[in-house]
Amino acid sequence: MRSVALFGAIAALLVLPDVLAVKSHDFKTCSQSGFCRRGRALAARAQEAQSSWESPYWVEPSSISVSPENSTIKASVKSSLYPEIKFSLELRIHDDGVVRVLLDEVDGLRKRYDEAASWALVSEPQLSKSIRWAVGKKEFRAAFGKKNDIEIIVKYEPLCVRLRRGGEDQIVLNGRGLLHMEHFRSQTSKETVEEVASDENGEGQEVLQTENVRAWFEGQSEDAYWEEKFSTWTDSKPKGPESLSLDISFPNHGTVYGIPQHATNLSLPSTTGDSPSYSDPFRLYNTDVFEYLASSPMSLYGSIPVMHAHSAENTVGVFNAVGSETWIDISYPTKKSTHTHWISESGIMDVFLLPGPTPEEIFAQYARLTGTTALPAHWSLGYHQCRWNYVSSDDVRTVQKRFDEEDMPVDVFWLDIEYAQDHKYFIWDHKTFPDPVEMTNDVAAAGRKMVVIVDPHLKRTSDYPVYQEASDLDILVKPKSGEGEYEGWCWSGSSSWIDHFDPASWDWWISKFTTTKIDTGFSWTESTEDVHIWNDMNEPSIFNGPEITMPKDSIHYGGWEHRDVHNINGMLFHNNTAQAVRVRSDIPKRPFVLTRSFYAGSQRVGAMWTGDNLGTWDHMAVGIKMVLANGIAGMAFAGSDVGGFFGNPEPEMLVRWYQVGIFSPFFRAHAHIDTKRREPFLLEEPYKSIIRDILRLRYSMLPIWYTAFRENSVTGMPIVRPHYVMFPQDTAGFNIDDQFFVGSSGILVKPVTEKEKTEATVYLPEDQVYYDYFTQHAYRGSSKGKHVAVAAELHQVPVFIRGGSILPTRERPRRSSPLMKLDPFTLRVALSKAGTARGELYLDDGITYSHQQGELVWREFVAEQPQKKMTRISSKDLASQNPAKAVDGVALTAYDPKNAFAKEIEEVRVEKIVVLGLNSKPSAVKLESGADLKWEFVPGVAASDKKEGTASVLSIKDPKVLVTADWAIVIS
Amino acid sequence: MLWLLLLLPLQALGAAEKTLGVPPDSISKYVPSKSNTWTCLDGSKEIPWDYVNDDACDCADGSDEPGTGACPNQPFYCKNEGHVGSFIPSSRVKDGLCEPNCCDGSDERPGVCNNVCQEVGQVYRKKVEEENKIRKTGSKIRSTYIAYAHKEKKRLEGVIETSAAEIAIQEKEVVRLRDIAERSESLSAAALELKQQSPLYISLITHSNALKSLQREHKKHLQREKELSNILDALRTGYNPNYQDMAVLEAVRGWEEIAGLPHINDVGKDSVSDEEAGVQEDTASEVAETKEEVDDEMWSAEELEKDLDDLLNSDYVSLLLEHDEYVQSVPEGSVLFDIASYLPDSIAPQYEEFKDTLVSWLVNLGIIKGETPSSTDTSRSRQALTDAENRLNSIKKEKEDAENDLKEIFNIHGYGLEGQWKKLDGTCLRTEVGDYTYEVCLFGEAKQIPNKGGSTFSLGKFASWNPSPDVKPGDDTYYGKQIYNRGTRCWNGPERNVVLLLSCGTENTLNSVVELEKCEYQFTGTTPALCRPLDSSEGKNGQNANAGKDEL
Repeated sequence: MRSVALFGAIAALLVLPDVLAVKSHDFKTCSQSGFCRRGRALAARAQEAQSSWESPYWVEPSSISVSPENSTIKASVKSSLYPEIKFSLELRIHDDGVVRVLLDEVDGLRKRYDEAASWALVSEPQLSKSIRWAVGKKEFRAAFGKKNDIEIIVKYEPLCVRLRRGGEDQIVLNGRGLLHMEHFRSQTSKETVEEVASDENGEGQEVLQTENVRAWFEGQSEDAYWEEKFSTWTDSKPKGPESLSLDISFPNHGTVYGIPQHATNLSLPSTTGDSPSYSDPFRLYNTDVFEYLASSPMSLYGSIPVMHAHSAENTVGVFNAVGSETWIDISYPTKKSTHTHWISESGIMDVFLLPGPTPEEIFAQYARLTGTTALPAHWSLGYHQCRWNYVSSDDVRTVQKRFDEEDMPVDVFWLDIEYAQDHKYFIWDHKTFPDPVEMTNDVAAAGRKMVVIVDPHLKRTSDYPVYQEASDLDILVKPKSGEGEYEGWCWSGSSSWIDHFDPASWDWWISKFTTTKIDTGFSWTESTEDVHIWNDMNEPSIFNGPEITMPKDSIHYGGWEHRDVHNINGMLFHNNTAQAVRVRSDIPKRPFVLTRSFYAGSQRVGAMWTGDNLGTWDHMAVGIKMVLANGIAGMAFAGSDVGGFFGNPEPEMLVRWYQVGIFSPFFRAHAHIDTKRREPFLLEEPYKSIIRDILRLRYSMLPIWYTAFRENSVTGMPIVRPHYVMFPQDTAGFNIDDQFFVGSSGILVKPVTEKEKTEATVYLPEDQVYYDYFTQHAYRGSSKGKHVAVAAELHQVPVFIRGGSILPTRERPRRSSPLMKLDPFTLRVALSKAGTARGELYLDDGITYSHQQGELVWREFVAEQPQKKMTRISSKDLASQNPAKAVDGVALTAYDPKNAFAKEIEEVRVEKIVVLGLNSKPSAVKLESGADLKWEFVPGVAASDKKEGTASVLSIKDPKVLVTADWAIVIS
Repeated sequence: MLWLLLLLPLQALGAAEKTLGVPPDSISKYVPSKSNTWTCLDGSKEIPWDYVNDDACDCADGSDEPGTGACPNQPFYCKNEGHVGSFIPSSRVKDGLCEPNCCDGSDERPGVCNNVCQEVGQVYRKKVEEENKIRKTGSKIRSTYIAYAHKEKKRLEGVIETSAAEIAIQEKEVVRLRDIAERSESLSAAALELKQQSPLYISLITHSNALKSLQREHKKHLQREKELSNILDALRTGYNPNYQDMAVLEAVRGWEEIAGLPHINDVGKDSVSDEEAGVQEDTASEVAETKEEVDDEMWSAEELEKDLDDLLNSDYVSLLLEHDEYVQSVPEGSVLFDIASYLPDSIAPQYEEFKDTLVSWLVNLGIIKGETPSSTDTSRSRQALTDAENRLNSIKKEKEDAENDLKEIFNIHGYGLEGQWKKLDGTCLRTEVGDYTYEVCLFGEAKQIPNKGGSTFSLGKFASWNPSPDVKPGDDTYYGKQIYNRGTRCWNGPERNVVLLLSCGTENTLNSVVELEKCEYQFTGTTPALCRPLDSSEGKNGQNANAGKDEL
């Protein structure tokens, strides 16, 4: 956009340089948010008081009770500031060692919102049955874990919760005394105080004294307790102050990750302490930030309140299940310790302590809580072509035709908001889309899909059945009065929003996506099962609302205020849409629903993208970090828009962005309505051919991606893995977030995100051989870590195969991924220093849930040296060996290798095997069953050498072995 | 289910014919050597003959797998007997889909695709036939265009010839009149100078100068206002609510109030309340009323616009002399004779012609007296000279235009080597899309005209035929695309422009308009000018035609 010539004073004023592009004044800083201000002021007072500071919260020892099963312990907590107010503390130990810590006000004036976890959790966690709580005079404690080396200790006075391992504190709650749960009070007390203070001297003195007693902790004044103004908006705050401040310390971890979504480094920069990187805390408050900054702690579209604390010794995590606006200060008092301070506007304290001790176990523990990414439809891993907007059904057909003419693969064409008449989603604008079903069928004829946008704002007109039905059902969010319908401004003009917290909305919304007529109202008959959905603007984005979202005093189901549920809101819309797409067909099919807003648990529903990024190198680079950060917070099916939403990227930038895109779990190109068209077929040579090759590379690697998605769906291990996940002990890798591994495949990628680069520096973290994917050049890492320089001309993206990996690929270019179903595989066997390698391949129909009935193929490829001067490559069935671990959510008891899917692909063979790093030219290459194979050998560096250079390459021509069968090839 | 059909024994693949997918002109290259080997077509490698079409890629150029799709970028030739043979890319070989371009199904595993070449061929031939019919009719029309161009050429040549002669005459006339004017001016110069000292004259000149300055300033302001209103109109229609910029919204609302426009987001909104609409009407009529409150003697805005220029173009010297005359005697005929001095230069020649005719006619009838020498001689002779010069210039221009037109008529970059486009110069095609009517006047300007009121935007003026360097000037793809550019600039965007895609049709039509990206319009239309006559070789040679004959 910025390259467009400016004209006129108005345009000049509106088009600002990048750095100023974000409308910062549209969004609050901590100092503009009452409860954040109070929270930070509390921390400042504690800082000032230093050692004399002591938390006013304490446990009543007499109140402690342990559940009969022993896993749960409860106690009353009091605050010395307000002795009459009662709090309850509860700790539950799950059977995997996760400790859940709950604190709530009891018998208060009102009830704090306590349902955040119920939305986030995949199911009620299993509690441990082997806990022995020891209740002492000053503390209670329990030891657990496989080696019984984990301890949870709760000190009574002041209240302090510690998770320890090996006698060392790992996670400490309220260690700095910043815990503060503002209890519910009535506003009259405030007025009394003021009146008394000003009018009646005698009694007023007393009251003031009482206040002064708390001032050391709460501050002198009631700061924004009852009303809060921001810009032109007033938040009426009928419940008064109810924020929750909590300090969480990691005394033995110097690096923290997580709490997406922020445009920042994976390893989180500091926000307080000595010379902090950012002056404001990280904020979690789902917002539609126009032209967001490439480095900022500002909130973005989604919020996942999970944090990993990492050290070379171990990894721990916390999941703070809160749905209200939350600010998080981070400081590093020493290189090896971290302080965090979480300030939330409302809700109970519901914190899950994840003991680790490895990243892998953190992912498993968090996955058991909030679930994993459901195994997506296979086609959704292909290339998605989007633009705001393809303007007509013929436009869509033409774009498809051009892709086919250029022989560029693509799986999905997208339609943004302009397909909908007056932005009434579902309702096609027949002037431009006269034949939506035929258009979809034309796209589907080449095995492709459409994704069409359905946003949550409903245009308030009686001729829009979706709005009218929702209005009649009384399932729309209500204004602060609690009566009628909240009305805001969005694409569709005057709009209202469905309250997805209202169970009455669920089945109704799901029915809208039915592709046939229904008796109960509107259904989307002008769509087919090849139409999948994009949920945008679900923060919710409201143009005339405070901070471009819904007023916090709006009312949801159950009388809860929007402030209580804001960060969860987008997930429910996403979830109900995905349910709808799943059940609209007789045989349920895997839905693809992309969301912009998300919360802990959203991964179960579908993919996310990083929103409206800018076409700048900075944004390209930070997109990688954001995808990594989302991945470690469970939201694994993630990507950022290739090319950047805003702006007209030059061809070089576009090429580099495609190189980034093909290594993202979700791979979509998208563009703003003001931009020039930039579909890859429009580029001049050589860019066009480079991008064609890039697209084909993604498609050839789809088996690797799909296999990684299976693993993620079962274990929670991220699809794209940062260094600390792969090499938790390598301190040099803790801050690396510009290169990453793809699943367990052994692929290491370092995309180039700078202009005019011809070389890249890649960090190799171990004493192992790494092969260049394209040139077979063997590089050598070191156990201390080593940087190597590699060529990175525009057509080159640095991709490496870690020695010891076997990669299954499909090398025949096709128009779309479903058309690759019967294509043969190529295996790249990248031998390790020890002359071994392994890899996996997972396949199923990619569409239905038949894999949950065991209709799948899950293979392991192994290369080993059973004797000297012999390498044996074999294929084994993994599903029979691990049926219970094959599929997410279902423990198969048995596996039938002759299942229907395996039969469908039983002819699919391996057409080529490439072995990298053999020591010398083989004398023979044979099937173990006897037949001689045809092969070629190009001498080169061996895996076991110390040398660098092009590796030796053995190419075995068409061994005709089947992917569904066990086989072995012997190289001697 | 489709996939179940594909479960055929491996041998079926192995047995693939060695020349499967090879085009007829290359079949001779697919033969084994004596030692039963084969060399990749690029000469890079010698492989066993068994490796040809064995569904595994061996040659760098892919030539060993013409029929399996095993090598990327290796075209596959479908014979399509009964239709037209054609190539498909290897990416479509054995992908499970039946290709329209490969109606014999030879690209797929046996049993996947039926041979539908008979049907496809039939449909294709019918289509070709229909296209040919259109082309035939179109080409007849086209030939009339060409004939027109030739006629036009003759006409222009005639114009040039005539005007050249006229120029010669007129040039002489100018010389003669200049001589007279100069002489009479030098004679009366002193007298005139004296007359010009008249306070009335001096005041008139001062008034005139003041008025001219005022007019200049006024025009500047008008221009500014117009630019601002264009900017604001563009802002109003083009602003993006997603920017959520209240400043922009306020600006839009303010402008709507001043300009008396409905709020853009309410336009076309069914639910605009009557009350609101009423209010808007009131505002509009108020504005109109205010406008009418003008003193009777004062000039209306319209008059100012129309007549002020004429007034300021008055020949004050003539007026001065006339004034003298008027004071001395009742003037005769001066209005008629001097009217030319009030007229802008551009219409003066026509007027003069008309006046001469009228005068001679009136004189003949004895209604008025012919021009007689008088004290206005000086200005009259000067006027006569100016008129003669104007006439000369206009003839020169006419000639120049004709010469330019002549240059374009048979220009490959202009109206085509055959002049087939000349007829369409200025032909306007229109179509209605949504709330707008789109118009393109060929070789002129393209416009977007709102149907419900508002300003018309220029989408650009004719700039060139297909500018792509890959396209050869003069061929169908060259004339199939016209570029109109430098239209009204979009708010915060580029200047609007149009790509007009034309194809052969029996009528000149504009069929569709799409704004593929902001302010970039794509028009499609038809014209007989693109219907080249059917080549006698076309429709007779080629497999297709043969097949067609067989069929018939």
